[in-house]
Parts: sequence; C-alpha cells; structure tokens
Amino acid sequence: MYKTSWGSTLMTIILSLALGAGAILLLGYDPIEAYYQLFRGAFVGKFNIGGVMERFVPLMLTALAFAVSAKVAVFNVGVEGELYLGAIAAAWAGYAFTGLHPLVHIPLCFAVAMVASGAWGAIPGALKAYWKVNEVCVTILMNYVAIYFTSYLVGNPFSARASIPRTPTIEESARLLRILRPSRANIGLFVALGVLVLVWWMLYHTNWGYKLRHVGQNPFFSEYVGIPPKKVMIWGMILSGAIGGLAGAIEVMGIHGHFLDNFSPGIAFDGMLASLIAKNDIRMVPVLSLFLAVLKTGALGMERFTGVPKTLIDTIIAVFILLAAMEGLFAYSRRRSARSSGEEAA
Amino acid sequence: MSRILIEMKGICKEFPGVKAVQDGLFSLEEGEIHSLIGENGAGKSTLMKVLYGMYVPEEGSIAVKGETYPSLTPKQAIGLGIGMVHQEFMLVREMTVLENIILGFEPRRGGRIDRRAALEKIEYYADTYGLRVHPDKKVEEISVGEAQRVEIIKTLYRGAEILVLDEPTAVLTPQEAEQLFCILRSMKEGGKSIVFISHKLQEVLAISDRITVMRGGKHIATVAGSSTSAPELARLMVGREVFLGGSPVPAAKGDVALSVENIFVPGEKELSKLRGVSFSVRKGEILGIAGVNGNGQSELAEAIAGLRQVQRGRVVLGGAEVQNMPPRRIREHGLSHIPEDRNQRGLDRFSDVKENLAACSVSEPPLSSLGVIRWGKVREFAEGLIRSYDIRPAGADIEASGLSGGNAQKVVVAREVSRKAEVLLASQPTRGVDIGSIETIRNELNRAKEAGAAVVLISSDLEEILSLSDRIAVMFEGRITGEVDSSEADEEKLGLLMTGGGTHV
Ligand SMILES: Nc1ncnc2c1ncn2[C@@H]1O[C@H](COP(=O)(O)OP(=O)(O)OP(=O)(O)O)[C@@H](O)[C@H]1O
Ligand SMILES: [Mg+2]
Repeated sequence: MYKTSWGSTLMTIILSLALGAGAILLLGYDPIEAYYQLFRGAFVGKFNIGGVMERFVPLMLTALAFAVSAKVAVFNVGVEGELYLGAIAAAWAGYAFTGLHPLVHIPLCFAVAMVASGAWGAIPGALKAYWKVNEVCVTILMNYVAIYFTSYLVGNPFSARASIPRTPTIEESARLLRILRPSRANIGLFVALGVLVLVWWMLYHTNWGYKLRHVGQNPFFSEYVGIPPKKVMIWGMILSGAIGGLAGAIEVMGIHGHFLDNFSPGIAFDGMLASLIAKNDIRMVPVLSLFLAVLKTGALGMERFTGVPKTLIDTIIAVFILLAAMEGLFAYSRRRSARSSGEEAA
Repeated sequence: MSRILIEMKGICKEFPGVKAVQDGLFSLEEGEIHSLIGENGAGKSTLMKVLYGMYVPEEGSIAVKGETYPSLTPKQAIGLGIGMVHQEFMLVREMTVLENIILGFEPRRGGRIDRRAALEKIEYYADTYGLRVHPDKKVEEISVGEAQRVEIIKTLYRGAEILVLDEPTAVLTPQEAEQLFCILRSMKEGGKSIVFISHKLQEVLAISDRITVMRGGKHIATVAGSSTSAPELARLMVGREVFLGGSPVPAAKGDVALSVENIFVPGEKELSKLRGVSFSVRKGEILGIAGVNGNGQSELAEAIAGLRQVQRGRVVLGGAEVQNMPPRRIREHGLSHIPEDRNQRGLDRFSDVKENLAACSVSEPPLSSLGVIRWGKVREFAEGLIRSYDIRPAGADIEASGLSGGNAQKVVVAREVSRKAEVLLASQPTRGVDIGSIETIRNELNRAKEAGAAVVLISSDLEEILSLSDRIAVMFEGRITGEVDSSEADEEKLGLLMTGGGTHV
C-alpha cells in the first residue's frame, strides 16, 4: 500500500509547475511573470488571501469526506450530492428558525445539515455492505437525485420568490463571522480545520477509528477479530456524508447567505481529486487542498495581469494529477536504474 | 563431480532495519536436489529472490554457468534458465491454467496466440514428469496441489533448467507431497537441478543430495544428505537442541467447555459440507481433529468461530448457545481462534505488528479508556508479547507484510493465546513454521491446556496430533468417523479412519 511522503509530493508540485511553465512559454508568454502574478493573486492582500481561504474550506472538507469513505473501502463519488443536501438543509434551518442566539443557531444549522447528508451517505454504504451494490454507480446516480431534489425545493417549498431560484436569506444569527474583509472568507475556516484535526484524531486515536481503518484494509480480518465490517462501513459513510454536508452548510452560512440553485461548480469533484492525489492520507489532505485553492484563486490574477488564460491552470492541475498517479512509476524506474547501473559496474 | 551451475558468494541484502541475508553463500551442481533450510526469517526466500533477480543485493556476486554478475533481473534469470515457484503462488485466479502458464510467453502464429502449440508443450511436460493439470479449468477451481503443478509447468515452459521451489510442501497434504517428490525425482533424472526450501526435515532428508543450513541471514553449513540426521539439522538450524514429538502432558480435566451438537454447515460448493458433526471438549484437555485437508475441517472451525452459517445443530460455549452469533459475541463467550488462513484472516498485513497484536484487546482497558486508545500501553503490550513469543525482528512498528511466514504466525498465536480464553480453537497452527517456532507454539498450546483451557487442535499433520492430543477425532467427508483416546491411537489406526475405513456409513 502506498504511503505519501512530503518529499515526493513537493517534487510533484515543482515538476507540474515546471511543465506548466513550458506550456506558458509555448503560448508565447513569460512564465516567470505569469507565476509571479499567480502567486500575487493568491497571497498578496487580504482580499486575495481571503479568496484562497474561501476556496480552500469546501475543497478540504469534501476531500476529507472522500478520504474518510476511502478508509472504509468505499469510493464515494457522491460527496457533491451530500454537499448540496447539507447546504439546503442548513439554509432551511437558517431561515426557518428565528430569534435564536448564534451559539445555538449555528450549531443547529450544522447539525441539521450533517444529519441530512449523513443519512444520505448511509444509503450507498448500506447497499454496498449488505447487497454488494457497486457504490460508484450508486453515488453518481444519487448525485443527480440530490441536486435535482434541491432544485425542486428552491423552486417550490423553500423558494424565496425572488427572480432567481434561491431560498430566503438566513437569519443573521445563523451567519458565520467574516474574516479578512472584503473577501468572503469566514470562521468556517476554523470549523473546517477543527473538524480535520478531530477526524484525524478519531481515526488514529480511538477504538472507533481503529475499527474504521481495519474494515477498509481487511474486512476478513476485521470480522474475525470481532469488528462488524458491514455496520462499520455504513458508519464510515455516514461520517463521510456528514462532512460533505458540513462543507455545504459553511458555503451557505459563511459565503452566500442563502441556498442558490446549482451553486457548486463541482467543488466536491475537486475535493475528490485532492484526496486522491493525497492517496487518502488525512495529513496530506489540507496541503493538497491548499495547493489547488492557491492555483485556482491565483489564476484570476494571472489572467488579469498577463493575459495567460486561466484555464491553463486547469491544465497544470491535470498534469499534477497525472504526475501524482505516476509516482509509483517513478519509484519503479528508480529500482530499474539502480539495477542496470549495477550491471554496468560489472 | 558434476558441473557447478550456480555459485553465490558474499551476498548481503538489507531491508529497512533488518539484515535479511549477510555474507550469503550458496552453490548448486548440475542434476542435484539441494535443500535450503533454516528458521523462519533466516533469509531463505530472500537469498533465492536475489538469485531470481527480484532483489538487488548490496554486496556479493552471483555466478551462473561460469559468468559472474553482481545482480540479475528476473528477465536475465529466466534467460539463464532459472525458474522459481514462490511461497505465495503468483497465479491469476480468474484465468485458466493454460493462460496462466503461457502468460507473457505466448507462442504466436500470424499474430495470434497458438493454443495448439501451447497445449502440446504442456502435455509434453505433463507426460514426462507426471505433472497432471487441467489446462482449461480456471485457477480458482483447482486444488492447491494442482496450482503448484501449474507453477512448476509455468517455469519449465519458460525454459527453466534450474528450479527453485520455496516451501512447496507447506500447503500440501502428505499424499500430495509424496506425488511432488516423485515429480522432483523424475525432473532430476531428466537433468534439471532443483533448490528445495522446506521446514520438514524428514522430507529434506528423503530427497536431498546436499543440504544448506541458514540461520539469522548467514550461511551455517552445507552437508551431504546421506551423512546427516534430523537432530543434527535441527541443531544447526536453531543453534541448540530441539525437542519435538513426545506425548501429551497430563493435566487435570474439568467440565465441558465447548460442545458441538450435530451441526450441518454449508461449504463453498456443497450445500452441506458438514453433516452432523458432534464432539465436546473439557477444560484442561486437547482434542485433536485429524483428517486429510478438505474433509470439512476448515468449515468446522469457521462455523464454531461464527464466520460461517450453521444450518442445523447447536454450538454450546461456556453454557450458552452461540451458533450463528457474530464473532465478537462468540469471543466474549470465551473463544480464541487461530485461523487456518493467516494472511487473510489472521493478520491485517497492511497494519503494523502492534496493531495486529492488540486487535482483540484494544477496545478494553488498559489499552484504551473511554474509547480512546492509549498507544503507549499498546506498545508496551505488544513489546511484551514480541519478547515472550520471540517474534523476529523485534519491532512493534514493522508492517505485518514484511514478516516471514513463521513470525507472522507467531503474531497470530501470541494474540490468541495471550487472551487466556476458556476455549482455544487452533487451525493448522504450525503450518509453514520452522521447528524452533513449532516447538514454541506447541509448548504454548500445552501451557494453555495446563492453565485450564479447552483446546481444539485441527491439524493435517498426524505427528502433531499424536504428540499433543489427549483425544483424537478423525474427520472424513464432513463427518467424524471415529474418536480414539491418545493412548490407543497410532498412525495406522488414524490413517484407516481418515480414508473412511472402520465405519459403517
Ligand atoms: N519485503 C520485505 N520487507 C521488509 N523486510 C523483509 C521483506 N522480506 C523479508 N524481510 C525480512 O527479511 C528477513 C528474512 O526473510 P525471508 O522471507 O527471507 O525468511 P525465510 O527464511 O524465507 O522465512 P520463512 O521460512 O518464514 O519463509 C525476515 O526478518 C523478514 O522479516
Ligand atoms: Mg520464506
């Protein structure tokens, strides 16, 4: 089984940026200037740093959701649907309850979102655990169900009757405090980081996490030592769903203030990529999520000041993913070259 | 003296934290059967994998037919006529026997695979050496013995003149092993040279021209097969006198701890693999269950442990009916279980040794409190077991997949025996384990019995059954065909029961 290492991840990052530089050069721009603007666009000024954080939070939480499901050997493509359900549940709880203290209202919204999306995540988990139904197909299809269901809700029972399909604005008491104004970054960042640490701690320092990890690694062994693999698999999916839902809730409560139809441009799929590159290693999830967030945010600045199209960044991300996937290949060819150099010495 | 084919000198191969082979020495003459023996983790597999080009040694030289190389690649090795049958088979289960054999070396005619040519070649080997296989069956449908013959044909097919067999008999029944020896002898007569790795000294003595002993990664001695004896080999391997065999130790018997009453259990392919099995075991007693593999022993163990559905009948453990309970509940009622398949069931190979050792106790104090694991205590617990069961290399953080076969088994035994449960169910506890460790494991079973546990010992090794059991039940085709007291049992009587004789069914 693969383990990630900081060194190899850093190498992959550098290499993909270098290949990107080659592409920029080919397009007839100056790569140094482009990257300079990219990093300025991501790091200079409160607005830009806030922009990175804005993207980082949902990316990291959805990556975490994916990584958790991977720990119980479920390939959960359904985080996007969970994000939508969590978002609309939080929006509903945000406008339907009034007159609450923020310290009550905010946790309430989180809880409603996490219960809704956790229950949603349990469905593919149970189908896989008890009936061996392929979770990839189920979760892909369930994404459509979830997203269209939220479309229905914002169009009808939850509609704000505004010109665009959205819910009413949530109460002030359900809003997450903004930081780094004028950006839309908010204290959801700390919630997300807290959840990350908590999940890591649960996985590696509690009995519950011990069960979760072993069920994913070897269900036969788990069953034999007395861990019920099917139940644990479902719990893993509930946790994964709940984290996905929390990501949606933070989007609504911290950024938009309401649920907007089709608000996510596939955030959870970027999250899934981040987790896959991290080889589902929880400690690497924030690092890679941050890297993707920086690239995506900085791309705007790069385009504005140098004219390099920001879609190029998506190319770099794709290259990055390819390289990360090829890491095994590098390790293999290193072994090979060690061997052949040995032969030459003879 | 005949020509020397292989001469390995000064081989060193290290893994992180382990010197697997140090100054390794090995030579092979043309047309000989040369056995390589040593304790678990002595470096036998590693040394042979160096020869087959799977590992690059840090030091040393390998001379093959007069040419010297610092290291080989598998491709070179195959080109030089070296073939290896690994300890863990490397066949693709979903493919047919034929496809497995020709994989990567397909004979072609006009861009297509020439099945006819492949079949002819396979038949040639089958006839010459008595290697009977079914080319069109899928690998998952054939027995272990046949899978092994497939592996041997595969190497011959690739043109092997030198065959390395890594513990080929560990997974075979005595009958299958006998067949294998016939095959090896006829291959030897056909001019092939064979390296044979085994833990069973009787086999080694019966078949070898020369024997090389390794210990702790080092070459200890190379002796002629005709001029040595089992005790001498054991002493060379372990570095001290080893005492195996003997007869069951007396211990005070108590109440019945486990009774199995007329159970029916389905198998993989049959509806009822077990048909009305009954027996009971008292505290302070070892019940041996003998039989040729595949007569329902695996299903029996899994049924008792809750890993397989019981259709009919009762399993009474510590006064409660436990059939069809989840494994956790059965463990709570007082069962420890050493499973037959250590790689899948017994160990989580991707976790480290301490997580494997603690798997059954991690959720209880003192290893955890309020659901939080206390890793310090877990480490202490694991290191204690590593010391008392002499698990090597002695590291709590080593991944289980890096352990040699016997040490992996010691991890399983340590975890299960240290629970001090009322009933200990041990399935093939010493399969593929070296004699030093066999001694340790058998002593542990006796100690558990003396401490008052009821032990069920399922083994296809008659010698093991005879030297440990107070009573012996024999299984044949899903039934118990007889039960004898150890004082009246001998190999002949058991052998008769094992083949279905002596009963009126
Ligand atoms: N891939 C590996 N990674 C790390 N350590 C390894 C690896 N393979 C073997 N070792 C270690 O090297 C030593 C020698 O192992 P090896 O498998 O050669 O023993 P062996 O003599 O074949 O034992 P057995 O009889 O149990 O098969 C052991 O200590 C083992 O733990
Ligand atoms: Mg070995």
